[in-house]
Amino acid sequence: MIELRNVSKSFGGKEILRDLSLSTPKGKTTAIVGPSGTGKSVTLKHIVGLLRPDSGQVLCFGTDMATAPEHELYAVRRRFGMLFQDGALFDSMSVGDNIAFPLIHHAPEMTAKQRRERVLEKLKAVGLEDKYDATTSSLSGGQRKRVGLARAIVMEPEVVLFDEPNSGLDPITSDEIDELIGKMKVELGITFIIISHDIVGTINVADHIAMLYGGDLIAFEPTDKFVRLDHPIVKKFLKRNLILPTGPNEVARLPSVE
Amino acid sequence: MTSVLAGIGHYGLWLREFIGATARHGMPKGQMMAEAFKIGIKSLPILLIISGFVGTNLALQGYNAFKPLGGQRLVGMFVALAGVRELAPIIAAAMIAAKAGTEMASQIGVMKIREQIDALEVMAVNPLAYLIAPRLVGILLMLPALTTLAIFTMLTTAYMVSVHQLGLSGHEFLQFAEEAIQPIDFFYGAVKAVIFGAIICTISCYFGFNCGKGPEGVGQATNRAVVTSSVICIVLNYFVSELLYGGAL
Repeated sequence: MIELRNVSKSFGGKEILRDLSLSTPKGKTTAIVGPSGTGKSVTLKHIVGLLRPDSGQVLCFGTDMATAPEHELYAVRRRFGMLFQDGALFDSMSVGDNIAFPLIHHAPEMTAKQRRERVLEKLKAVGLEDKYDATTSSLSGGQRKRVGLARAIVMEPEVVLFDEPNSGLDPITSDEIDELIGKMKVELGITFIIISHDIVGTINVADHIAMLYGGDLIAFEPTDKFVRLDHPIVKKFLKRNLILPTGPNEVARLPSVE
Repeated sequence: MTSVLAGIGHYGLWLREFIGATARHGMPKGQMMAEAFKIGIKSLPILLIISGFVGTNLALQGYNAFKPLGGQRLVGMFVALAGVRELAPIIAAAMIAAKAGTEMASQIGVMKIREQIDALEVMAVNPLAYLIAPRLVGILLMLPALTTLAIFTMLTTAYMVSVHQLGLSGHEFLQFAEEAIQPIDFFYGAVKAVIFGAIICTISCYFGFNCGKGPEGVGQATNRAVVTSSVICIVLNYFVSELLYGGAL
């Protein structure tokens, strides 16, 4: 479904991804983890075609996102939903209008009533059914993520991408988002790809975990196998991630992982 | 100099991309009039105040310049020529650059740093066509109208100062003003407004789309947008006047 073949990418002479190859299983949740600056978000941006690799292929539903013309890129993107770090909600629109946005543009056959029903259904799914008319500025960080998730799933996509879903959240809200992702995974049964530095939440929801380090894929295993890997960097990351923040803006967490 | 040329080249490529995107995707429905209304309403009060007081000063300075020569009756002609042909279009453009242009640059800049432009892309909505095209049409509709309003405001305040403060004949003021300007001058004013509007909108949006990281990046983009578009409009005003009026300048 989604496959990266020998992808390399550099910015200003600095190599961010080096010959990365990765294939995500269909209908499963794959987490791509690693410390800050290892190319996780860059990988995600390659998958949706926001970045094009210097070399290699990014195959999504058989389309090479690295070389596809715009109309093919857009056709593939309509099969994706994406939750951005801060939700990326449009400030000029209400919560309901934000979620309805993809429907207005890509489902013109829907009536306003049908759109409203679909939006309310997705708002209910993320536990915010009373926020339809709310302004985005009135939402908390966790609520913004929930609304962002509702927008990501409103077109009923085949793949949902999560860019650091726990970033900037307090531990309690972070756990709530993890629970929501776990619930969505069960209810929707579609492919999830999660980019995260937060191994605690990731372990709870991911079926497979890939770890990037210094631009290289150093591990890609089923979750139960990943946590037992005898790899020095994986072990170090697992251990340090349980104690220390991995980035300047990330909240130190004291997890209650089993 | 190299960076200026590189900037012009980058702007040119970006402009081509915008035109291509708008041709492929069209303009979002319903936004054009909203943008025009927003641009017009937000800029109108400040434009009326400034153009009104420019009119008063044109009358005063015209009177002071012509009086020693005994030609104070020519104030109407002076105000009409300077105001209609030059000052009203450029003042309206400067006001739009300061109000609407800065708003465009900062709004789009904030959208960029908050990943909202990436979100548009991922939702398969072309951000260039979606964000810029309605703003461009809005400004192209409103700036000629605002320029015309600025002309009439300038003439009105100049007339009031000339007649009620300087003691000139209102009939003569209007007679000389009418002789100095023709209906085509209003059309030329609208032509200038359309050119300036296109420059202000595309430059402001360009800086917004290409802003740096964080609030500082948005601030710099906004600053560059207003400075660059104002300077280009003022410089271009000379060449457009030369083209439209030629030796009659």
